[in-house]
Amino acid sequence: MNSLGESYAERRERVLSPLAERLAAHLNKLFDDFARIDRISVRAKSVERFVAKAEKQENGKRKYDDPLNQIQDQVGARIVTFYASDVERVRLEIEKYFRYIESKKIVPESESEFGYEGRHFILFVPEDLIDEKLGGDEPVEFFELQIKTLFQHAWSEAEHDLGYKPSGKLTSEQKRRLAFTAAQAWGADEIFDEMHRQVTNAPSGNR
Amino acid sequence: MEISSIHSFLIRPGKNLENPPEINGTSVPMNGLLYNMLKKVFDSAEEECQHNIAFIPDEDDEQKNECRDSLLSYIKDCDLVHGRRVAKRLQSVTTNRSSLGLMFLISGKHKGENKIVVSRFPADSGILAEEKKKGLSVEFLERIFMKSATSYKAAVYSGRSFAKDFWKGRAVDKQINSADSYISDYWIRDFLRSDFLTPGEAGTRRLAIAVREAMNRSDNPDVKKDITALHRFAAGMPRKVVNAKGLLDQFHVPQATQEEIKERFPRAKLFEENFQFVPSEFLKHVALRTVELDNGGLLTAATERFDDVFTSETVDAAQDVVRFSTEGKIVDQRFRKAKP
Repeated sequence: MNSLGESYAERRERVLSPLAERLAAHLNKLFDDFARIDRISVRAKSVERFVAKAEKQENGKRKYDDPLNQIQDQVGARIVTFYASDVERVRLEIEKYFRYIESKKIVPESESEFGYEGRHFILFVPEDLIDEKLGGDEPVEFFELQIKTLFQHAWSEAEHDLGYKPSGKLTSEQKRRLAFTAAQAWGADEIFDEMHRQVTNAPSGNR
Repeated sequence: MEISSIHSFLIRPGKNLENPPEINGTSVPMNGLLYNMLKKVFDSAEEECQHNIAFIPDEDDEQKNECRDSLLSYIKDCDLVHGRRVAKRLQSVTTNRSSLGLMFLISGKHKGENKIVVSRFPADSGILAEEKKKGLSVEFLERIFMKSATSYKAAVYSGRSFAKDFWKGRAVDKQINSADSYISDYWIRDFLRSDFLTPGEAGTRRLAIAVREAMNRSDNPDVKKDITALHRFAAGMPRKVVNAKGLLDQFHVPQATQEEIKERFPRAKLFEENFQFVPSEFLKHVALRTVELDNGGLLTAATERFDDVFTSETVDAAQDVVRFSTEGKIVDQRFRKAKP
């Protein structure tokens, strides 16, 4: 492991993992009475994934010149909801209780594509969770929060796992198959959300 | 703390003007009385600026804030050109009501970090009295810029990394509590394009949970009585910028009760952090009040209606015995688990 990996591994154990635990407790309390949330999970980014991200190239040079300070998803949280319209309900709640520097609805680039979807935030770590014993640059300023439906969550987990297999890049045929499963996940979300609204007489709103 | 540059700009109102007035600026010499005064502003900025604030993104999907960008450009080059960009931003949100102001940009280093203080001194008028050999001369002066106790504004940011830091800062705005939304929005929301670091709901939730925990865990009857009274006051409070200590002082909550509440805060420092109080959020966390009697009786009602639902009368003052009575139609009955 290189020195960046070692520095990150030390930071992960001493700073990030304890913060992830505190953040999980905080989010779980906040959404305690919230209907149709399947799970809330928080993790410190693995050393392997951190190093891989730190070494990413952009326009022929490294994307991050100070990855320990620049990579903002060293702590990542995910809230998984039952239905697509619940993503919007959770988003509004998050915006009430957290400050953010980015809030993105991630959808495929064109209407004819199917792939990764979800709502991503880069949020300030709440002051309540900051460990005062840490000094200098150690405190973590931001964390990433993703809000996904069950189907978006399932699809992104499997896609991520396949993408990290050592056998290399996916073939064109495999990519096409992945897009097909994404389309099915999208369709399942649409139908479940519609049925949910029909049986609860909920109005159809923006998602 | 070491100052590396100071620039000053005269800001005339320019909000919604197609051709706003020219902005004159100058570099301030790094010695003399003015420097000494501004050095104090720079050195004491962290203590003076009591509000934790955070820049908010211009567009949701991009980590970009125009005010932050202009301050970072100034820190990197520290010249009149980049300072004027900040000055133009302040002018573009300044109306005739805010009137003329003198803006200072003070940049330097503190503990190895870059630090910038931006402050605005309002214009005032005054009288200059000079004692001379043969008496006294008095003269009316316009355009005196004072570090006014009622309308001085400042903000301070520091950090090492331009990419990661400088999203959070601290600000002072002596008019932030003004009922006039223009005055209270001018510095933090319009110019700095920022908001309190802790959103109103989050700050109110933190306070309400501390109050509830203090109520539930304290075995001191006086503390419980104080908190019941506090609930009545707080429930009727409007949305306004408060901190827990200020709010409890305002309602004359005794020190012992304040300590019990403060202990329930996740960090003692947060007891004095400012946020906008949201009444509905407060009530959500202290919605029900239960009184338990030594005969096994449990009386529960909505907190704000408890004293209307149950009438209490003292039966034996020496033994603290009371009788509660109420009247109504039974709509439901429930079993609950025993207390652990």
